[in-house]
Amino acid sequence: MLRSNLTRTILSLAVVAVVVAALFVVQHRSGGSSITEARLERSLPTTFSHLYLQQADLLGRTGLTMKSLDARADCDKGGPTVANSGPGADWICLMTWNDPDVPLPDGSGKFELNVHSNDCYTAGGPSKLVGLVTIVDRRGREVPNPVFEFDGCFDPNGDDTPTGVTIVPPPVTAPTSADAR
Amino acid sequence: MTTQSTPTHADAAPVVGHITAGRPGVLGVFAWEVTKLAARARARWTLLVCLAAPVVLVVVLKGQQRPPKDSLFGRYIHESGWALPLLILGFAAQWVLPLLTALVAGDIFANEDQHGTWKTVLTRSASRAQLFWAKTLTAMAFALVVLVVLAASTMLSSVLIVGHQELVGLSGQLVPSATAARLVLASWATAAPPLLAFTALAILLSVRSRSPAVGIAAPVVIGMVMQLVGSLGGIEALRPLLLTTPFEAWHGLLVEHRFYGPLVSGAITSAVWCIVALTLAFTSLHRRDITEG
Amino acid sequence: MDDVLAVDAVGLTKRYGSLTAVDAITLKVARGEVYGVLGPNGAGKTTFLRMLFGLIRPDAGSIRLFGQSRDEVGTRVLDHVAGFIESPKFYPYLSARRNLAGLARLDGLSGRGAAHRIEEVLEVVDLRDRADDRVGGFSFGMRQRLGVAASLLRDPQLLVLDEPANGLDPAGMRDMRALVKRLAASGLTVLLSSHDMLEVEEICDNVTIMRSGSVVYHGSIADLRERAPAQGHSLSTDDDERAHALAATMPDVSVVRGAEGGLVVTGAQADIDRYVLAVVTAGIGLRSLGIDETPLESLFFLLTERTTEVTT
Repeated sequence: MLRSNLTRTILSLAVVAVVVAALFVVQHRSGGSSITEARLERSLPTTFSHLYLQQADLLGRTGLTMKSLDARADCDKGGPTVANSGPGADWICLMTWNDPDVPLPDGSGKFELNVHSNDCYTAGGPSKLVGLVTIVDRRGREVPNPVFEFDGCFDPNGDDTPTGVTIVPPPVTAPTSADAR
Repeated sequence: MTTQSTPTHADAAPVVGHITAGRPGVLGVFAWEVTKLAARARARWTLLVCLAAPVVLVVVLKGQQRPPKDSLFGRYIHESGWALPLLILGFAAQWVLPLLTALVAGDIFANEDQHGTWKTVLTRSASRAQLFWAKTLTAMAFALVVLVVLAASTMLSSVLIVGHQELVGLSGQLVPSATAARLVLASWATAAPPLLAFTALAILLSVRSRSPAVGIAAPVVIGMVMQLVGSLGGIEALRPLLLTTPFEAWHGLLVEHRFYGPLVSGAITSAVWCIVALTLAFTSLHRRDITEG
Repeated sequence: MDDVLAVDAVGLTKRYGSLTAVDAITLKVARGEVYGVLGPNGAGKTTFLRMLFGLIRPDAGSIRLFGQSRDEVGTRVLDHVAGFIESPKFYPYLSARRNLAGLARLDGLSGRGAAHRIEEVLEVVDLRDRADDRVGGFSFGMRQRLGVAASLLRDPQLLVLDEPANGLDPAGMRDMRALVKRLAASGLTVLLSSHDMLEVEEICDNVTIMRSGSVVYHGSIADLRERAPAQGHSLSTDDDERAHALAATMPDVSVVRGAEGGLVVTGAQADIDRYVLAVVTAGIGLRSLGIDETPLESLFFLLTERTTEVTT
């Protein structure tokens, strides 16, 4: 009695779930993911700028603002052959920003993003430009570097019009032993 | 309720009293369910764990050299006392909250089967509908009490142990302590709709399986499967249907320009799950022949 | 309202797949009557009582209790009805008093009126001393008595008791029967289900005898007595199988297997004598022959077991 009852419930629930899911997937196939290039290109610079200013504050530097930094990002998932949408650890965002004391030798910085299906991401910055995992603050204490690695989330229904930002990647040079990790 | 006297035989034996059965209200039945629940060790232990476990967890996490960076706010646990409650919320939603509510909701119907007491309660004046809603109300109330106790204990202990510094939000913005407090509280509150939906699911499984073990374990397993499905790429169209997605809707409160879309769709998803599960459970109980006990 | 039947069941039927547990039972109990439903285990008594309480939905037929049906008035149909089916069940982790307080709540009773009534019914079943102990520690007999108390709590006009003495030790059985007698004498309408003719014979006015879901007798105990055959005899031989088969050739006696082994022989004295002689002549060893049961019991066995194999 118990067993057949339960099996029936589980089976019927499973069947309903699969049918609903299948219908949903078919219907939304064209719509695709909420994780898009445009949304990342809007979210990442904001998050980065906030944290960059906090790093500046820790280091005792003044004169930087969100506006003066003017951070921009150009994101791509998995190279030219992969569509630029959906979760994955293969998102690369090139970013530019203006810090008079820290010039960008390559014209941009390369951020590696692990974007999760819940519209949040973990970004890792280029340590040559943003520093190592910890920094020494103005009082000489070793503190975590806010921009070395950070999390951010964006609105899955947010503005999805292309940002129009295009950042030319630096010319590929033969890796030297210093670049290799 | 009604204590009118009925005429009895002059030579009536003492077995004949002077009370006629009245009509219980859902609230009367609810009061009885709460009394039964309060007498059970499981309910008391659950609340005790909700009260004490966060304190232990906060102390342990505070002692960590390496913060748990894999989860949101994990990297900030040493920086702000408001990061810990959000880290714990993200963790609790994975399977702890479904388990905590299922401990009562998964048992509240099946336990009558276990003790053979359906016939005892259904031969009184309360209807099946009244018993169903009283039990559902009890399970829902318990779920909310669990959430409140867990949230309060977590927030209080992390503020007392770590402090109430500014919080770095999910746009990297600095959130002042007072605002952070409100946002953390609101974030915990957003767990209520999916938690109630999990409660309804546990009720359905409890009614159908007639087994407390299934009623308690199945919602947890379903929650974990949903968590897994929700984290896969390629089938993101399913995410809005999953009961685990609303547990993450609070992310929208912690960014610079708050967004509420996931909260709204999460509330709708939870409501649909709730209504479907409760309808199925009610129909099942209503139609059922009580042949055991 | 006085001429309204306490129980008016017409054509009640319940099937489980191909098995018909209750087959078109019609049963009427007048107010104030003490009515017996008699039958061996599995005859469908309990299924019938569950339908009466609305625990099971009948596939066909209708039940009116004091003129009301569940379809018309919902749970109000049980307003004047209380009782228990099979062994009464309670929450083992609560005390007897709290169990009763909870059930009182389900009856819409609370406060001092309920508390007073709980003390009264605990007194009736002699459980006041143990009222604060958890029911989990109660003996079978105490639970049975608590079941009666829980029923009386509703102050019913119709009390339904399903095998109240079942599973009790002899002393408990005697106490329970005395209690049922007292309740019956108090003016309550009592519907008593039992597999024991003696229990029913003692206190019931009218009786319905069931077998395999159907009614095989329906009428007063007095009428039943008149139909009762001669005294039943218990017979024990060294080969009951053959002795039983032998009876097939003798239409004047009835031989059935007894519930506790052996055979039950009924018939006129002369016929029984001839049967016993035939058994001995057939070379079957005779071990004992004795007067076994009351005439009504014999009739009961005839009605319920004659053509079916007894399963124990």
